[in-house]
Amino acid sequence: MPWDVIIFYLIAAVCITSAVGVVVANNPVHAGVFLVICFLNIAATFVMMGAEFLAVVQVIVYTGAILVLVLFVLMLVDPDDLPEFHTARPVQRVVGLLLGAILLLEVGAAILSRTVTGARGDATAQNIAAAGGNTQALGRVLYSDYLLAFEVVSLVLLVGVIGAIVLALPERLGEQISITRRGTISLGHPRGTDAALPAGPAGETPMVDRETPSPTPEPTTAGGRTLIMVTDPDERTTVGTRP
Amino acid sequence: MGELGVEHFLFLSAALFIIGMMGVLTRRNLLIIFMCVELMINAVNLSLVAFGWELDHLGGQGFAIFTIAVAAAEAAVGLAIILALSRRQKTMDVDEIRSLRD
Repeated sequence: MPWDVIIFYLIAAVCITSAVGVVVANNPVHAGVFLVICFLNIAATFVMMGAEFLAVVQVIVYTGAILVLVLFVLMLVDPDDLPEFHTARPVQRVVGLLLGAILLLEVGAAILSRTVTGARGDATAQNIAAAGGNTQALGRVLYSDYLLAFEVVSLVLLVGVIGAIVLALPERLGEQISITRRGTISLGHPRGTDAALPAGPAGETPMVDRETPSPTPEPTTAGGRTLIMVTDPDERTTVGTRP
Repeated sequence: MGELGVEHFLFLSAALFIIGMMGVLTRRNLLIIFMCVELMINAVNLSLVAFGWELDHLGGQGFAIFTIAVAAAEAAVGLAIILALSRRQKTMDVDEIRSLRD
C-alpha cells in the first residue's frame, strides 16, 4: 500500500472519530474542540489534494474564526439553558440512525457506480506550476471566471455582518446608551471659569461641583491641560459659551 | 483501491456528511446542531475539492472558497439568532423552541 494511502487512512480515522465525538459529546465545549480537530484534518486532506490555499483558508476561517465565535456564544449562553444529550427522544434517535444508514448505502452505491462524464480541465500539475503555484492559479480563476460570483459573495458577507449585528443587539439599547453617557469626562473647560459663569437659562444649573461647591477650585492639570468632571454631558453643553 | 483515488475522499466526505446529519437529527441542543451543520458544509467542501482534483479543474476549489465565505456569513447570522433566542426564550432545546417571539 502506498504511503499516501496510509496517511489518508490515518487522517480519515482521526477525522471520523472526532466527527463522532462532536455528535456524542455531552459537553458542548468538548464538541467544539472535537470540531476543531475534525476541521484541521479536513485541511490536511485539502493539502493531499493539492489545494494548499484552501487548506490555509480552512484553518483561518473555520478553526480561527467560526469555532472561536461558536465557543464565545457557548460561554455567553446560560449553561442551564442547554439540554442534556441523553434526553433525546428514542424515536428521534432511531429515525436519525435509520436515515443515516439509508443515506450511507445510497451514497456508497452512487460513488462506486459513478462514471466520469465531464471534460478534463487544464489545471494539471504542470500548468499550476507554470502559473506559480496553487494560490496564483486559483487567484487567476477567481478574478477572471468567477469575478461576478466573487463580488456577490462580498455583498453576502456584508449583509450577513449587518444582520448579525442587528440580531445580536440588546433589546433596550437606548436605555443602555443613556446609562453609559453618564459620568463622562469633558475636556477643555477650566473649572475656575465655570464657577464664575452665571446660572444657565431655564432651570439649567451652573457647572459647579455640586457635591463640594468650593469657591476656589483647584484645577487638575493633565499634560498642561485642565480637566473637569461632569455628570451629564448635555448639561455641560448648555451652560454659557467658551471664553 | 490501491492507489489514492477520488473515491477515498468521496467516502470520507460521505461519512462526515452523514455523521453531521445524524447529529442534526438526534441532538436537541441548538449549538450542537449548529456545529453539525458546519460539519456537513465541510463535507460538501471536501467532495467539491475532490471532484476538482479528479478532473484537473480549479472550479472545485473556487466553489469551495465561495462555500466557506457563505458559511462564514451563515455562522455569524446563526450565532446571532442563537444569542437572541437565549436572551428571550431561556432555553436551547429545539423541542421547546416553537417561535422566534417571546
